[in-house]
Amino acid sequence: MPTLLELQRAMRSGIVEHDSAAVAGALATGVRPDRLDIYRNTIFSGLTRALQLSFPATQRLVGGEFFAGAADAFIREYLPRTAYLDQYGGEFPDFLSGFPPATSLPYLADIARLEWAVNHALHAPDEMPLDLARLAALAPDVQGRVTFRAHPSVVTLQSNFPVDEIWRAVLDADDRALAAADLAAGSVFLLIERDPTGVEVTRLNEAEWRFLHALCRGEPLFCAVDSATDIDPAGQLAEHLAAGRFVAFASDTNEAVASPEAV
Amino acid sequence: MSSAVGSRASLIPAKAGIGLRFQHHHAVVEMRPDIAWMEVHTENYMGGGPPLRCLDAIRRDVPIALHGVGLSLGSTQGLDPAHLDRIRQVADRIEPGLMSEHVAWSVVDGHYLPDLLPLPMTEEALDVVCRHVDQMQSYLNRRILVENPSTYVTFRHSTIPEWEFMAVVAARTGCGLLCDVNNIFVSAQNHGWDASAYLAGLPAPAIGEIHLAGHAVRHLADGGTLRIDDHGSAVVPEVWAFYQEALARFGLVPTLIEWDNNIPPLDVLLAEARRATGFMAIAEREGARADAA
Repeated sequence: MPTLLELQRAMRSGIVEHDSAAVAGALATGVRPDRLDIYRNTIFSGLTRALQLSFPATQRLVGGEFFAGAADAFIREYLPRTAYLDQYGGEFPDFLSGFPPATSLPYLADIARLEWAVNHALHAPDEMPLDLARLAALAPDVQGRVTFRAHPSVVTLQSNFPVDEIWRAVLDADDRALAAADLAAGSVFLLIERDPTGVEVTRLNEAEWRFLHALCRGEPLFCAVDSATDIDPAGQLAEHLAAGRFVAFASDTNEAVASPEAV
Repeated sequence: MSSAVGSRASLIPAKAGIGLRFQHHHAVVEMRPDIAWMEVHTENYMGGGPPLRCLDAIRRDVPIALHGVGLSLGSTQGLDPAHLDRIRQVADRIEPGLMSEHVAWSVVDGHYLPDLLPLPMTEEALDVVCRHVDQMQSYLNRRILVENPSTYVTFRHSTIPEWEFMAVVAARTGCGLLCDVNNIFVSAQNHGWDASAYLAGLPAPAIGEIHLAGHAVRHLADGGTLRIDDHGSAVVPEVWAFYQEALARFGLVPTLIEWDNNIPPLDVLLAEARRATGFMAIAEREGARADAA
């Protein structure tokens, strides 16, 4: 008689590896092992649907059949680690970049990265912007050493391809826009975030992006300013703060990150 | 655990409700349908943004029950504390009238298999489930309901009838039972059980909610049939009849219409709920007549 843990491991193998031999001996008389296929179908179709919802443009680019095959291979390798399935699929872009059948579309993995950033922004928890009055109250010499914590929905993404153009064209089924996307036009620098109306994907110039990216990574303000030539850092910072892109800050004299309660 | 029902639990009336899915968020906010209560899957509201705000808005008008599908009460390796905490955060925000989970498992070695997988009906499984129901009730500081599964396989080493397993979980932990009459019907058909005997084996005072849903019938190559609990169609006549049997046995209990695949327009769900309301009215009259006799 298997222990419960042995049985659960055998059922996982039966379902995921499509190998019911391990569990067949534990089934009651007359219960055919292929009944595990019902569970397998539910699990794989549910996870495939989750990936389809998170990566709609990726799916349209490669077609439904190809996507289903890639999803099946991905699921077998990367089972979810949590029952909070909105977080499932974060490894899918990297998986695609190493998936031999996908190499003919060099920008595919970056499209998937953009879609994952959109999905991340969509499901991120709500948080209040930081308290501007407390930030303003810092002494000027301390302000330069301030570090920020970005709103959980904010993602900065860089790609060697115009993935934002391709992504929009694919979702809008706009073949003309898709054909017009210039793969050799150089890198794009993107900000992905959720505002009250939904998720926004915004193209920044390289300097603006480097400044925001540095702040999001937790670099002190003066370091971020140093990395941002040809922009107005004060104006940029004011814009980010007004848009609620930072929810907390810390400084040398204010080690405890001043963060409002999550709402 | 205390078996007392928390004051908030009384918010779910002994009337018919519907399972709320994203597809109907907008329609519910716009139409404000006349429905006594609604139930959502806890796992669907663990992020922020529009879905949670929408549920907040609906919650202002309608009592909400939280139905968990991912905690895996039957896992031998313990509950995921992060998931338990996410459940508590949703509960703190929504203040549900009822909370429930399943007698099933989904997690092994940290891998989550998104389905309600069957447990062997053994003393070991019973101990695991009871320990986790205790833990969940302590962590949430409230009584929960646990739902009987629908299953497609049974195990050679099972020693306890499923209805007895459910009854013992309720007795040992003080939790209530969510009696899914469609699940009982599906499992009874699949395994050759007597569905009425199953009902008779459940402790009536512990029944805190009833689920109703549609299922599919699959014809097998060997000539047999298998019932698949896909929540993809209307409640079938045999399950409505069985629901009446459950009402006669348990009295009026909050009853939910679940529909998760091929989700129809909101009106269709509301019509199913009205049908349940009709059967509850009949059961109430018959109960009154029986009391008077």
